[in-house]
Amino acid sequence: MNEKTRSIDGDVLNEEITLTYRYSLGEVAGKFMAGLRDGKILATRCSKSGMVYLPPRSFCERSFEKCDSWVEAALEGVVEASTIVVRGFEGSRPPPVAIAFVRLDGVDSAIANYVEEIDLSDVEVAMQTIAVGARVRVKFIEKPTGSVTDFYFVPAS
Amino acid sequence: MESYVIGIGLHSPSKALADFRLEEIVYHTARAALDDAGVTRNQLDHVTLGASDEFDGRSISSMLMAMPAGAYLTDEIRVTDSGASAFCLATARLKSEEFDLGMVASWCKPSKTIVEVFMRLRGDPFFTRPLGINMSISDALFAQAVAKTFNVSDNEVCERVVKAYERAANNPRGMKYDVPSLNDIRESTLESTPLRIGHRAPITDGAVCMVLASERWLQRHPGHQPLARIAGVGWSTDSYRLGRNRLSDLVSAQKAWGQAVGNDPAKIDLIEIEAQTGYHEAAYVRAFKLSDSIKISPSGGAFAQNPLFCTGLVGAAEAILQVAGRAGPVQLPNVRCAAAHSCHGFAQQGNVVMIFEEPGIDHG
Amino acid sequence: MVETVGVLGTYQSNFKTREVDKTFAEQAQGAALGVLDASNMNPDDVDAIVFSLAPTAFMGVADADRWCIDHIFGAGKPMMRVHTGGATGGSAVHAANSLVRSGIFRSVMIVGAERISETPDAQKVLNQIFDPFYEKEMPLQTITTVAMMANAYMQRHGVKQEDLAHLVVRQRRSAMNNPHAHLKGEITIDDVMASPMISYPLKLFDCCPRSSGSAAMIIGNMDMVRKHQSHPAFINGTGGVSDSNWIGDRIVPTAHADFIDWKLMRVAGAECFRRAGIDDPINQIQVAEVYDAFSIQGLTQLEQLGFCSSGTAFRLERENAWDVNGAVAVCPSGGTLCSNPIAVSGLVRAIEAANQVMGTAGGHQVANVHNAVATSVGGIAQFLNCTVFGNDYVRTN
Repeated sequence: MNEKTRSIDGDVLNEEITLTYRYSLGEVAGKFMAGLRDGKILATRCSKSGMVYLPPRSFCERSFEKCDSWVEAALEGVVEASTIVVRGFEGSRPPPVAIAFVRLDGVDSAIANYVEEIDLSDVEVAMQTIAVGARVRVKFIEKPTGSVTDFYFVPAS
Repeated sequence: MESYVIGIGLHSPSKALADFRLEEIVYHTARAALDDAGVTRNQLDHVTLGASDEFDGRSISSMLMAMPAGAYLTDEIRVTDSGASAFCLATARLKSEEFDLGMVASWCKPSKTIVEVFMRLRGDPFFTRPLGINMSISDALFAQAVAKTFNVSDNEVCERVVKAYERAANNPRGMKYDVPSLNDIRESTLESTPLRIGHRAPITDGAVCMVLASERWLQRHPGHQPLARIAGVGWSTDSYRLGRNRLSDLVSAQKAWGQAVGNDPAKIDLIEIEAQTGYHEAAYVRAFKLSDSIKISPSGGAFAQNPLFCTGLVGAAEAILQVAGRAGPVQLPNVRCAAAHSCHGFAQQGNVVMIFEEPGIDHG
Repeated sequence: MVETVGVLGTYQSNFKTREVDKTFAEQAQGAALGVLDASNMNPDDVDAIVFSLAPTAFMGVADADRWCIDHIFGAGKPMMRVHTGGATGGSAVHAANSLVRSGIFRSVMIVGAERISETPDAQKVLNQIFDPFYEKEMPLQTITTVAMMANAYMQRHGVKQEDLAHLVVRQRRSAMNNPHAHLKGEITIDDVMASPMISYPLKLFDCCPRSSGSAAMIIGNMDMVRKHQSHPAFINGTGGVSDSNWIGDRIVPTAHADFIDWKLMRVAGAECFRRAGIDDPINQIQVAEVYDAFSIQGLTQLEQLGFCSSGTAFRLERENAWDVNGAVAVCPSGGTLCSNPIAVSGLVRAIEAANQVMGTAGGHQVANVHNAVATSVGGIAQFLNCTVFGNDYVRTN
């Protein structure tokens, strides 16, 4: 922690605190990120429960066994939940942005990402395009870096 | 109604378990506890977690950690004081008779952060933090008070540390450090007077999980041999302010001890003390008025492994293994009753004591 | 042989954006003093403490509960702190309930405080709840994930934004009779619809405020009840359940507990109601203080608790079924929608429910309350708990 600023200002003590963490990628995230660099979305599968998961994880919550194989997800799927963020979002992109949880074909659970190539000027109309049940396709950015934002969704039609 | 420990999972410790995410470490440990108990995750009706957001680097750590600890679709509560505190709550939940089979899980991966940074964050912003009070300084103040009040010499402290390393060297579940010499300790770098680096137990990554069962559950599920009966628990937290009396009166330690031990302290064969430094061991031996016949930390205690937040619960696991006759090379003979102690907060502000006895029932 | 557990007294501060005159420890002290006074008890009458505190990053002191111990007359007492995100207060009540029911202690004080506005970076703190690899780069925040759930629910059941607005209007109005509530006032559906859109379909007025404040409750066994409280509320039922944090697992056809319809609350509620002997909620329970940080959340919980069937609660809202004088009074206090001091929000729901049973809810007291239910929600609807308070104790097991 670097106590960069510590100052007293009337009745108030101001302080800025920096906390540093090193998160291990672990057994699974590294392979997923590498897959993204190859233009693939890799899911993990548990043979006991038969479930295929995105985001990938090392163990299956259902069976409480380790996931024991990898499955390449199809690059198309269905919207399970979506929203258009209009304000107040402190992320890498200025609002409005559309995000959706999408269940890719061949996978049992949904993964979240941005949805692009939608006209967001009329939010009500745009929401129809990404309503629950809408089909979307996956696109990759030109230079994937091994981060989940290497891919995004676009309306399928 | 009586409660029992029927399975234990203890992750192998490391200076840095860098290959695994926290969730994976805990999953393996919880799974080991379930397998040891011979039960499946689906049989659990409650889970009690001991975890710290600050250590884990998450604002609500249990969001990602509850599932690996076995809490899927189960009644789960998390406490933040220490792993041993989670154990105390778990015993209360069983005793309330609203639950019968539970998991207690705790973990700590100090290698992923800078421990003293977050320790300083525990200081109140007005009086404590400007002085940079952290674990090292508060433990040093504790050491000074203990030395003065109980006439504890540097020699005694160094000897305790060396003996702890000697015991720890035989513990297959520990780090198996080389045993230092008395001189190594005596001449190690001063951290904050009178504490030297050599006085302090090195910090490691680790995790510990246990499966607890009520007597009622065991009656309904014959064929499970419990490892130990939970004979008593006690916990107490002291004043936050580090005055002289607060440091050496050891009020919360004695209260926790009194509540756990009840009326019959004589029966204890050993105690796994959470001694972050040799001064801690010297202090607790006196605070608990331990007779010479009671063996101190046969596992080596924190000098075998020290995953800070759950070191005390690891001690409890070691105590249970002693009662169950499964402690291996560090097993003591004829253990009927073993105590475990845990401390947390600045200069052991909080203390927990747990007592385990032979199950005394044949559920085989 | 287990103990019967009763509520001996409660306290809430008046919730507001910033608590400038007190430090965090002083806030907690205010709550401790207030609840001791309300219960007519001394500190020595309190055997143990459960501290209700969620992320400490809001006030920038790690383990701030330990800092408070002297202020709350707790030095030398058994204390532990519970943290299950937004569900913290409810979990703290459950933990305390176990401590008394088990016979370990005669009495327990549940106490906590929140000062989320201590930092301008509250949103950044809240964003730290998400997975660092898969989720943090997304605009996944509490509100965007709740918004996604809301869209799916509304699409599934034909619910309109105006229906949500009806609830907001009702609860802000109810809150006018609650001196503790943060947001209160007479507003219209048009006001709600005109408030700025944050994440479709949730607008500003669909969201809770960030509140600071403190709260406490003392519970005890029958001996303590006889000594200190002639009109107690008994804790007759508790139920809690945790789900996977992966939202994507919970909104798909294979989900065990469908997140869109809040099926997880059915699990928590079932155990709680079974223990409390409730099998006909709409006739047995007069007040429901459900944890609703967003307008979409409270009524979906009601459905899963069995007050009405899935997808019907908002139609019933339009028919005023959830008014103070309706079939069940839903959040007569204004609910979490009107005050959200995160660390103690779940405790406040429990306090409001208990007060209704004890007859101490003041201006927003509902008539003839025999039973009241309180819920609280943590994570992204990942940790749910449910508590039933009754004016007579029930023994089932």
